[in-house]
Amino acid sequence: MNRPVLAILALSSTCSAFAAPPVAGDAKKGAAIASQVCFACHGADGNGITPPNPEYPKLAAKQPEYLLKQLKDFKTGKRKNDIMAGMVANLSPDDMTNLALHFSAQKNKPNVVKNPELLDFGKKFYAEGNPDLGVPACAGCHQPDAGGTSTYPHLAGQHASYVHLQLKRFASGERDNDRGLVMQSLALRMTEQEMKAVSEYITSLK
Amino acid sequence: MRTTFLASLSLTLVMLSSAHAAPPKQPRAPGIESPDYVWEAQSAEEAQLLKMKGDVARGKIAYQVCQGCHKPDASGLPDGTYPQLAGQHTTVLIKQMSDVREGRRDNPKMFPFAGKHVVDTQEVADIAAYISSLPLPGNNDKGPGSDLPRGKTLYEKDCATCHGDRGEGNASKFYPVTNGQHYRYMVRQIVAIRDGARRNANPKMVRVVKNYSASDIGAVADYISRIGLQGKAAK
Repeated sequence: MNRPVLAILALSSTCSAFAAPPVAGDAKKGAAIASQVCFACHGADGNGITPPNPEYPKLAAKQPEYLLKQLKDFKTGKRKNDIMAGMVANLSPDDMTNLALHFSAQKNKPNVVKNPELLDFGKKFYAEGNPDLGVPACAGCHQPDAGGTSTYPHLAGQHASYVHLQLKRFASGERDNDRGLVMQSLALRMTEQEMKAVSEYITSLK
Repeated sequence: MRTTFLASLSLTLVMLSSAHAAPPKQPRAPGIESPDYVWEAQSAEEAQLLKMKGDVARGKIAYQVCQGCHKPDASGLPDGTYPQLAGQHTTVLIKQMSDVREGRRDNPKMFPFAGKHVVDTQEVADIAAYISSLPLPGNNDKGPGSDLPRGKTLYEKDCATCHGDRGEGNASKFYPVTNGQHYRYMVRQIVAIRDGARRNANPKMVRVVKNYSASDIGAVADYISRIGLQGKAAK
């Protein structure tokens, strides 16, 4: 009986994301952890590694709320990822807060566009979505400059291969830690071409 | 009590298990096809919402999940895919959102982004307050303008009693502001109301438009699209 009750509680808590207090901690302590634990895949400043690996996102300049939520979700298994599960196993709640603050405070460096021919369509899709199928514009939640909000993450300059992979995982349900199933619902309505183009456009944003 | 609890429990579990690779499915509640349908009957949540005080500042944040379709100024899309919402009565917004959430107004496109799994009750109240506070954009889609005198005659005969001389609607009766609405959206909705596809329709309006031809609908929607009330609609 307890489990379903907890499930209900968990569900209802996802519905009130707006009341979260600001993330407070020590970014310097986060920097120390980043340079030992995270740097090899994400870069110590969160700008990723070269060449980019679709499994390793850039983290610089993302909202601390978003980064902290992902770390917590890796820890609880809500976001399933074997590598990250291992990495967060030894992190305390304070460590995770400090890491979120560290990466959030890093300057986001411009990324490299590999498929410029996709940008026009990607830009249009980002701004308009697909009204025929009810795909909301990305700009609605993630903002026109992809700077995000405290509820929806910053995306600008993210690796295209990572964004594309996440869209595919949302569509398949392999990634299901999105707020209110919003990303799963809309990714299911997207074509491969739309995913590719919008990912490339996001990479191009600074 | 126990049965209700178990029922809501299994519903919740269905919702949770459907999280994997399936979009949240809109429930289906009895609508106009059902003999005991009462147009303005309120669910528990809707009754609660109508008593709640929405907060415009919070609503602006909660509205983020809506603006990917309805646009930051809530003007929707001129082609009528998404309606103009700015300045709409809060009661109307609450009723329509409730009907989508509960499955009296079928909208599989919108449901994943407006259901209870993503927008909570307070957020609905806040979103309604925010949208209602926005000024009418005034750049709505207009019809061809070819049959306006007939549109005016039809409007004054059939529509003005409820929707107001200037399309200002009636907040306490849940009649929407139609002034400033997109022509193609209105055509689509009147057809859906006439033909029973809009299952949360007011039976009074169904009777009114029952014998409307396509050109009647076009003429009246065209007239409404041009009523041109300036600024926010009177409440």
